[in-house]
Amino acid sequence: MKKRLSACALLLIGWLGTGENNVQAQTPEQVFNAAGPPQNPKVPISWNRYYDYAGITEICAKLAKAYPDLVKLETIGDSYQGKRIWALTISDFNTGDPFRKPAMYLDGNVISNELQGSEFALYTAWYLVENFQDNAFIRELLQQKTFYILPTINPDARDNIMHRINSANATRAGMIPLDDDSDGLVDEDQPDDLNKDGHITFMRRKSAKGRYVVDPQNPLRLIPAKAGQSGEYELLGYEGLDADGDGRMNEDPPGYYDPSRDWAWNWQPDYIQHGALKYPFSVPENRAVKDFVLRHPNIAGAQSYHSNGGMGLESLDAVEEGNTENQGHNQVNDLLKRYAEQVIPGYTYQLVYKDLDSAFGGKLNWLHHARGIFTFSNELMSPYLQVDRQKTKDPEQEAGPVDVNYMPPFQDAYVEWVPFEHPTYGNIEIGGFKKNFPQAHPGDLLQEDAHRNMVFTLYQAYQLPQLEIREVLTRKLSNGLTEITATVANTRILPTHSGQDLKHKIERPDYISLKDSTVVAGMVLHNPDQQPGREQKLNLARLEIPNIPGLGFIKVRWVVLANKPNLVVEVDSRKGGVVRRAF
Amino acid sequence: MKSTLKAAFLVLAFTGISSWAHAQRDYQSYAQLTSRLQKLSARYSKLASLTTIGKTATGKEIWLLTLGRDNAANKPALVIAAGLEGTQLATTELALQMAEQMLQGAVLQDSVRELLQQKTFYILPNLNPDASEQYHEKLRWERLGNAQPVDDDRDGRMFEDPFEDLNKDGLITLMRVKSPSGTHKPSEEDPRVMVKADVGKGEQGEYLLLTEGIDNDKDGKWNEDPEGGVQFNRNFTFDYPYFTEGAGEHPMSERETKAFADFMFDASNVYAVFLFGPANTLSEPLRFNKDKVGTRIITGPLEKDAAVNEQVSKLYNRTTLLKNGPKVDPSPGDVLQWAYFHYGRYSFSTPGWWTPLVPVASESSDGAAPLAPSAHEDVNFLRWAEANDVVGTFVNWKAIKNPDFPGQEVEVGGLAPYVKNTPPVRMLEPIAQKHFRFFSAFAKAMPSLQIVNISAEKAPGGNTRITAEVYNQGSLPTHSELGDRSRWVQKVQVTLHTNDNQKILSGNKIQLSNAVAGGEKFQVSWLVNGKGYVTVTASSPTAGKQTKEIYLR
Repeated sequence: MKKRLSACALLLIGWLGTGENNVQAQTPEQVFNAAGPPQNPKVPISWNRYYDYAGITEICAKLAKAYPDLVKLETIGDSYQGKRIWALTISDFNTGDPFRKPAMYLDGNVISNELQGSEFALYTAWYLVENFQDNAFIRELLQQKTFYILPTINPDARDNIMHRINSANATRAGMIPLDDDSDGLVDEDQPDDLNKDGHITFMRRKSAKGRYVVDPQNPLRLIPAKAGQSGEYELLGYEGLDADGDGRMNEDPPGYYDPSRDWAWNWQPDYIQHGALKYPFSVPENRAVKDFVLRHPNIAGAQSYHSNGGMGLESLDAVEEGNTENQGHNQVNDLLKRYAEQVIPGYTYQLVYKDLDSAFGGKLNWLHHARGIFTFSNELMSPYLQVDRQKTKDPEQEAGPVDVNYMPPFQDAYVEWVPFEHPTYGNIEIGGFKKNFPQAHPGDLLQEDAHRNMVFTLYQAYQLPQLEIREVLTRKLSNGLTEITATVANTRILPTHSGQDLKHKIERPDYISLKDSTVVAGMVLHNPDQQPGREQKLNLARLEIPNIPGLGFIKVRWVVLANKPNLVVEVDSRKGGVVRRAF
Repeated sequence: MKSTLKAAFLVLAFTGISSWAHAQRDYQSYAQLTSRLQKLSARYSKLASLTTIGKTATGKEIWLLTLGRDNAANKPALVIAAGLEGTQLATTELALQMAEQMLQGAVLQDSVRELLQQKTFYILPNLNPDASEQYHEKLRWERLGNAQPVDDDRDGRMFEDPFEDLNKDGLITLMRVKSPSGTHKPSEEDPRVMVKADVGKGEQGEYLLLTEGIDNDKDGKWNEDPEGGVQFNRNFTFDYPYFTEGAGEHPMSERETKAFADFMFDASNVYAVFLFGPANTLSEPLRFNKDKVGTRIITGPLEKDAAVNEQVSKLYNRTTLLKNGPKVDPSPGDVLQWAYFHYGRYSFSTPGWWTPLVPVASESSDGAAPLAPSAHEDVNFLRWAEANDVVGTFVNWKAIKNPDFPGQEVEVGGLAPYVKNTPPVRMLEPIAQKHFRFFSAFAKAMPSLQIVNISAEKAPGGNTRITAEVYNQGSLPTHSELGDRSRWVQKVQVTLHTNDNQKILSGNKIQLSNAVAGGEKFQVSWLVNGKGYVTVTASSPTAGKQTKEIYLR
């Protein structure tokens, strides 16, 4: 499996090199198809570049138009600046109501400067629909499951980063104006393009106290001086002035708030969790997403595409919370993560609360803890892709983009350092990273990584609960009574209710019904030999089951006052779908 | 008018309780309160304005009465909020009576007029009108939740186990079932009141105590999923009680709580928040506890803020002369803690009215020993009610049939709903006056920024050094110590305004300061090149603003 996938990924790069789709220099007859990518897509899209909000909107609309039986495009609400936030529902609409199929939720770009999440999410949507016809696996997947794909849940800041003069780290925030320094003025001290080169880059000054030296491998880059080595430069932050004269530089840029500190699990205010806004879901985009998730209780799995780090973060939360998971849950995660490690090189499974900075009010935490959804955050742009393509065990190597040696082609991502006379700092130089690096993938890595992450997303979607009514046995009792025993199996890894869900009764129980009007007793069998099992007192025909475990089964039993009962059984699970079978 | 008629019909229908039902229903419905507020703001249109901060699920407005309307947003403000819990109707009435007294006072007294000129009072008399309206419905039960449908017991069925009025008196009270495995027994002081049997002391329970109704869904719990809703005072972000009844899907999930928070965050001039609610931090202040502030998430007041709470509590007791205030701690997800920990303002709470202790007669007429206060709140309440001719507080136990307990002895009775939070309205007027007195005194103690000792001295090079002191003339700090940490509390700001021919050589143009305690001051200075007038402004939305000019020679 692993080999085949990485081979396929390599081929994808080759395919990318054959030219722009929209140029169409080749006819389909001239092409020998590489394994994996759609043979002849109805909606040709180049996956080696980034799209702004209008671009994303157009791609969504084209997909919906080209595949009306597979794609529904809707808006879930407006952004702060009034842009519509798009949601794609992707499923085979001819095989049942997508709302009643187990669903996978996927979004990108919750943090504004992590752009590529949108392209990755769109790539996933595109890959699914363009392969539906020719690929049996995808076809079955869309027959059984639904995908909800929200390519950008932060459109305002996305466009701001792309179209305005900005730095790579411009903002994680949206565009709500805020007074960051409690002086009653709003966004009054922002970074400025001092040397008018169209980029916000960095300010550096030669200094004996400096802690940085020039990277011997890349003269445009500064790296921290090694221990014992004396530094040459000090970094003075992003290009800018003390616009409001309060002695601080760039202290009130647009924002600042962090959309991924705005979710309603263990939320804490800004003085505890930097970046928190007023209260959970006070960011309007997040509120719209939250409402969407609550309106779709069939969402059983979720992934969120973040950039940079290459870790699938199965979210737990701040240390104060402690680990509330049970054994079963951990087993499920183990199976999923093992797969992820195979398909996404450099993927290391980490617990947010243990291995990264402990944070409050994250989206993963909310999906996982408050909604009981099996959630992964895919930190894209793994260091693996950037370094030497060997899985490193050295934690130093994975410390982050700053320590990475990947050279963007021909210094394309850097601006030359040029001298500047600064009113506060004196003689300085301005230069360094542009906004398209290192947060954003260079074009050559974009599609490869999109594909790998999509594979993991599809794998998790495949492992959402899949319910089957296996068998129904009848046995005649005395006095005209008949005993009916049914077995309902879940053939995939994920249960219908996570451990967190069961603990707090987040989602209603699953229902297993016998469509017969003469039911006089109904019970759940804890094991096949145990009789009579747990009895239900009301609504005897519709038994309530707390959970149908992954790769497991449930046995239920009814007693009916009939010789020839109506042997139609229905399973109705919010996260496991609806199955009906007559015997 | 219509609802008055309805109430009158109800009185006729339940003849057995007619005498008190009428007396009790002098609390007003949403429609009556609305018209009272509208008339009040129309009558005092120069002093007050009535607006709404949002609508409930049933379309009721959440009213905001602003006193001191001129320039209201630019003056330091107090928030006075009531009706946090759907059952506390007296708090709404108190807040309104106080507003009425203040407006009448402003016409008659200079001091009150001045108060409203200098300060803004944001009064929110009822924050959960959908819950409190249950008092006026045909079936009266103590509803806390709003009208947002919630599956309280999270079993996938909505409202499947409501109360049933088994004794047909229009009231939901308690139900006791005679049982050898019972947990309760009649109190020795007042056998009508059921108290928990203390097994440790060898006491034996005689009754199971439940709420009046049937276990409709046969889950072994009685009336655990009635109509409604989310509780206003459980839906805030601090110490939010996840997955508990009435807390909602997530903090700030409700129209009412979100509207309230949005209004508050927009109002940067709010200095302190006063709640007429269940908790009591005014009779007795919250104390400083080092262990609660040493962690990343602080759970107790910071040291200086605890000192302010003590100062304000003394002021409260001195001005209201209210005694025997109940000790009620803040509760998870409440407004009180949110307003301090997450909004960064001073935040205080008082129930306003509570059951007064029945004075112990020095010598009772029949020579019996005077009664000591009971350990049971309900017993004290009934004694007080009897002593003050408050009738209809208790529904006597009466046998009924309940299909859940075939062949068992089941009775319905107990305290009538709401009675502990709805004293006869006439009793509230003096309480409102006492609180008015307290708020006037509090407003006088509020911070006030002054620029003092401003001077311009010659400095070498033809420059001038400007120094000034910014002084807090009030006896309370300019904002809370927690506010120093919060981005939602503006700091004290001193700005030097210069013209194009003047240049600030040293000293930042804008200088910010953390909270300045009452009677404290801090110094600012600038070195300026140039001649002519410059102005210095010291300001804070919560402590006022002063501007002074000085001439540079």
